Amino acid sequence: MGESAMTMGARRGALIEGSPYGIPSPKLAMWLFIIADAVTFGAILFAYGYLRVANPAWTRPFAFWPTIANGITMTVVLLTSSLTMVGAVTAAQSGRKSASLRWLGVTMLLGTMFAALHLREWTAMIGQGWRLFRNPMGGPVLFGATFFGITGLHLLHVITGVVVIGVITLGFRRERLDAGHVETTGLYWHFVDLVWMFVFPLVYLMNVR
Amino acid sequence: MESRQSPGMQLYVVVWIGLLLIVGAEVALTLAHLRASTLLGLLLVLAVIEAGLGLMYFMHLRYERPSLFWSLIPALIIVLVLMDHFWPDALRLMHQRLPAP
Repeated sequence: MGESAMTMGARRGALIEGSPYGIPSPKLAMWLFIIADAVTFGAILFAYGYLRVANPAWTRPFAFWPTIANGITMTVVLLTSSLTMVGAVTAAQSGRKSASLRWLGVTMLLGTMFAALHLREWTAMIGQGWRLFRNPMGGPVLFGATFFGITGLHLLHVITGVVVIGVITLGFRRERLDAGHVETTGLYWHFVDLVWMFVFPLVYLMNVR
Repeated sequence: MESRQSPGMQLYVVVWIGLLLIVGAEVALTLAHLRASTLLGLLLVLAVIEAGLGLMYFMHLRYERPSLFWSLIPALIIVLVLMDHFWPDALRLMHQRLPAP
C-alpha cells in the first residue's frame, strides 16, 4: 500500500467514530425497530386489558381442552424455537456454519408449526361462527375484534420471521451474509417470542371459562 | 465491534426450562379461577419476568454494553407507563358521551 493511500485510510478512520453501544449499525437498527414494535403491541394489549377488565359481561369462550391445551403447545413450540435460534447464533459466531444452518432450519420448522397450529385454531373458531364483529355466544362483539386483531398481528410477525429466517439462511449458506446477520435476525425472532409471552396469558388464559 | 462474551448453551437451556415453568405457573393460576383483576395482575407480573429473561439472556442484553440497556429499556417503560395513565382517561371520555337523540 502506498503512503498516500495509508494516509487517506488513517484520515477516513479518524473521521468515523466508534459506536457508543459497541454494536454494528444493523443490530442497533433492529433494536430500535423492536422498541417501536413493542410500543405498538403495548398499545393494543393495554387497550384490550382495559376493555377486558372494565366489561363484566365479557365472553370467556375457551375451555382447557382443546383451546388452552393448543395454546400451551404453541407456547412450548415458540419458546423452543427461541432456544434453537440461540443455537444458530452461537454456532454462527463460533464459525460452525453447518450447525448454524441446521439450527436455522429447525427454527423455521418450529415457526411454521406455530403458524399452522394458530391457523387451525382460527379455522375452528370461524367454523363456530366467530368473526371480527360477531359473537356466536351472544356477548359483546369486542371479543372477536380483540382476539383476531391481536393474534393476527402476532401471527403476521411470525410468518414474516419465518420468511426472513429463510432469506438469511440462504444468504448465509452462500456466504453473502455473515454471523452478524444471523444474530440480528435472531433478535427479531426472540422479540416475536417475547410478545407471545404477553399474548398467551392475556388473550387466552384470561378468557378461560 | 464485538459484544461481550456470551454464555454457553447450558445457560440458555436453563433459561428455557425456567420460561416453561413460568408458563406452567400461569396455567395453574388460571385454573384457580381468581377474580379477573387479580388474575390479570398476577399474569402480567409473570409475563414481565418472562420478558426480562428473554431480553437479558436470549436477546443478549445482559452481555452488551450497559449504555444500550439504559438507552432503550427505560424509554420503553416510560412510554408503557404513560399509556397506562392515558387509557383510563379514554374510558372516562367514552362514558361522558351524550346519549344519541
